[in-house]
Amino acid sequence: MNQDDPALDFSTVIASTVHDMKNSLALVMQAHNQWLARFPDPVRQSPEQGVIEFEFAHLNAVLVQLLGLYKLGVNQMPLQPAYHELDDFIEAQLACHQDVFVSRSIMATYEVDPLSPLGFFDRELIATVLGNCINNAIRYARHAVLISASDVAGQLVITVNDDGEGYSAEMLERQADYVQGINHTTGSTGLGLYFAGRIAALHQRNGVGGRTEISNGGPLGGAVFSLYLP
Amino acid sequence: MLSYHQKRFLIVDDFSDFRSSVRSMLRELGVKDVDTADTGEQALRMCSQKAYDFILQDFHLGDGKKNGQQVLEDLMVDKLISHESVFVMVTAETSQAMVLSALEHEPDAYLTKPFNRAGLAQRLERLVQRKTLLKPILQALDRGKPIEVLNACIALCKQDIRYSPLCLRYRADALRDLNQNEALERLYDGIIADRPLPWAFAGLGKLLFKRGQVLQAKGVYEKALKVFPMMPALYDGMADVLVSEGDTKAAQRVLEEAVRISPLAVRRQAQLGKLAMTNEDFDTASKAYRQAVAQGAQSRFKDAESNLGLAHALISKGSEKGLDTRTRLEINTTLSAVAKENPSDPGLQIRARLMKATSMLINDAETAEKLTEQAIQRLDGMENFMSAEAALLVAKQLQMLGQPEAGASMLKNCAEIYGDDPTVMKGIARLTDDPNILNAGNVAADLNRIGVRIYKTGNLVEARTVFRKALALQPKNISIALNLAQSLLHGTDASVPSAELDECQTCLKMVGLMPDTDVRSARYQKLKSKAFGG
Repeated sequence: MNQDDPALDFSTVIASTVHDMKNSLALVMQAHNQWLARFPDPVRQSPEQGVIEFEFAHLNAVLVQLLGLYKLGVNQMPLQPAYHELDDFIEAQLACHQDVFVSRSIMATYEVDPLSPLGFFDRELIATVLGNCINNAIRYARHAVLISASDVAGQLVITVNDDGEGYSAEMLERQADYVQGINHTTGSTGLGLYFAGRIAALHQRNGVGGRTEISNGGPLGGAVFSLYLP
Repeated sequence: MLSYHQKRFLIVDDFSDFRSSVRSMLRELGVKDVDTADTGEQALRMCSQKAYDFILQDFHLGDGKKNGQQVLEDLMVDKLISHESVFVMVTAETSQAMVLSALEHEPDAYLTKPFNRAGLAQRLERLVQRKTLLKPILQALDRGKPIEVLNACIALCKQDIRYSPLCLRYRADALRDLNQNEALERLYDGIIADRPLPWAFAGLGKLLFKRGQVLQAKGVYEKALKVFPMMPALYDGMADVLVSEGDTKAAQRVLEEAVRISPLAVRRQAQLGKLAMTNEDFDTASKAYRQAVAQGAQSRFKDAESNLGLAHALISKGSEKGLDTRTRLEINTTLSAVAKENPSDPGLQIRARLMKATSMLINDAETAEKLTEQAIQRLDGMENFMSAEAALLVAKQLQMLGQPEAGASMLKNCAEIYGDDPTVMKGIARLTDDPNILNAGNVAADLNRIGVRIYKTGNLVEARTVFRKALALQPKNISIALNLAQSLLHGTDASVPSAELDECQTCLKMVGLMPDTDVRSARYQKLKSKAFGG
């Protein structure tokens, strides 16, 4: 195998395949929703439909993340920071998952510190991170998910809290390794944390970079994912 | 939830499935008035007939069609939508090339496919809320009154200081339009010190450059490119700085980098072509101009100069044996488009013919001669002035095509019109050593300088006399005519007929023959609106 042959650059092959898959998935989701609209409510709210909705969203999130990781790898992740209204931003991410929340009977709420209604970040990138977190929280939550945004010592902190079992002791202990991308055993969660950590670190202010943190507890008692943006 | 039943919606997408899917989502939200379009061109036509409150525009509408960003640019520049309308860019995925090309005209929001009804409803509702909050600012923008925009920003910040970051861009643009340079610089500095925003860097660099602070502008761009290496507008600014420092090679490298990051930019490609021609890098020039022509086809930045540039680059690239068939074909196509699309522009007709004749000089001398004759005929009847650059190339080609007399007359004319500009005179000197052409304007140029000095002392009568003498020597010189017009207008009541006003208007009519790409256009427009009453 000739390594100089550009045709064999495997990461580019993956990236373009993922791109293709994402487009197909979008069409499948759209067709599915149109098809579903012809059925009566009981069918539309069946548990299977909930699974389909959730896995659609999950698949989409995973693919977006994979594309993001590729772009990080080839250094093509430009930061486009701007001021955003936090309630609008969080609401938009929740709205994407609205159908899943309904089908799983999960109460999704959010709170934004009224004294700092605006955040400074790249909307697209942070939306990808938050979307993954919400997806993850849905998987483990029993009845509730809470997203909060607040200002801690001049940094914006966005947390995603659920009422599930919480992170395992091992995960909490080794979270720094996940962020460095060392642990490969636990699959998506580790990759998700790695991705979130990298995106957070792209956000810098006066030499201080963003970071992530996982813990247990919070108002809902389950897992707490925190994103710190300077 | 908001009430949408009286709102007008437009969906623009090339997929009919998508249009109907969004239409049914909107119906469920209570929307009654939904129109659809499958191309940007159709969308623009519809927007010129009907004022839409919401436009959901797909970004990619197929190859060879206007894309969503181009539609937005056209809508804004042609004022086909109000600032109060909501414009949402719908995308399969947010690609960086797309976002990066949107620095000047940003959509109100991006919405990534696939989205559900809840997602759509949420975006629309929030956008309406934001537009309501900013209403006084947006209405002032629609009226085109920057001072009112500023006042509205101040009022909003007073009412709720938390939202002041949302006003920053509006304030900066208003200060720029009002030419309040000191205040604008302070604002940019403040923004950058707090949170580096890409547009603030680009704006500050541009402002400093405009005021002649080239070194400071360079410093800003260097710093900004470290933070935002993917922002093409910053490369454009850096290239301007390098050109003004005379380093066209470095400027070309910077633009090549920008084009690599964001290839979808008609004006940038054309600028790169021009720089590469200066650097005699005909390969890069022809590639860049080719892109400018292809992308320009659907864009409002379509420019015949790129076609002529492409042909010129291809001819310059050719060897002594002439051009191969494929190149000749490309030159023919690109020049035919110029001639066909600009029937009433004699300058372009002449230049396209001469360019084509030059390309045929070796392979088909007979046709080349015929085209040259046609061009010379049109040249005799042409009233408007060509730009100095175009005139010099025409003169050079006339010389190459065996028409030294026509070339010389072109150069003489050019020296008369632009003779006060040393760069133009240097260009003329490269094509002729005839002292009658090179020195003809010296006395007039000296008189013009003396006139400016006298004008500054406030002695209007004496200044006018000197400018008049200068203009009598070089009747087509734009600078002298502008100076005389300004000195005549100074202290003259333009609402009462007078000999001074008549003379001033005559001067300005002559100046009006210059191409509107001339740097003095703004000054001319200002004087014209004073002398002719708006």
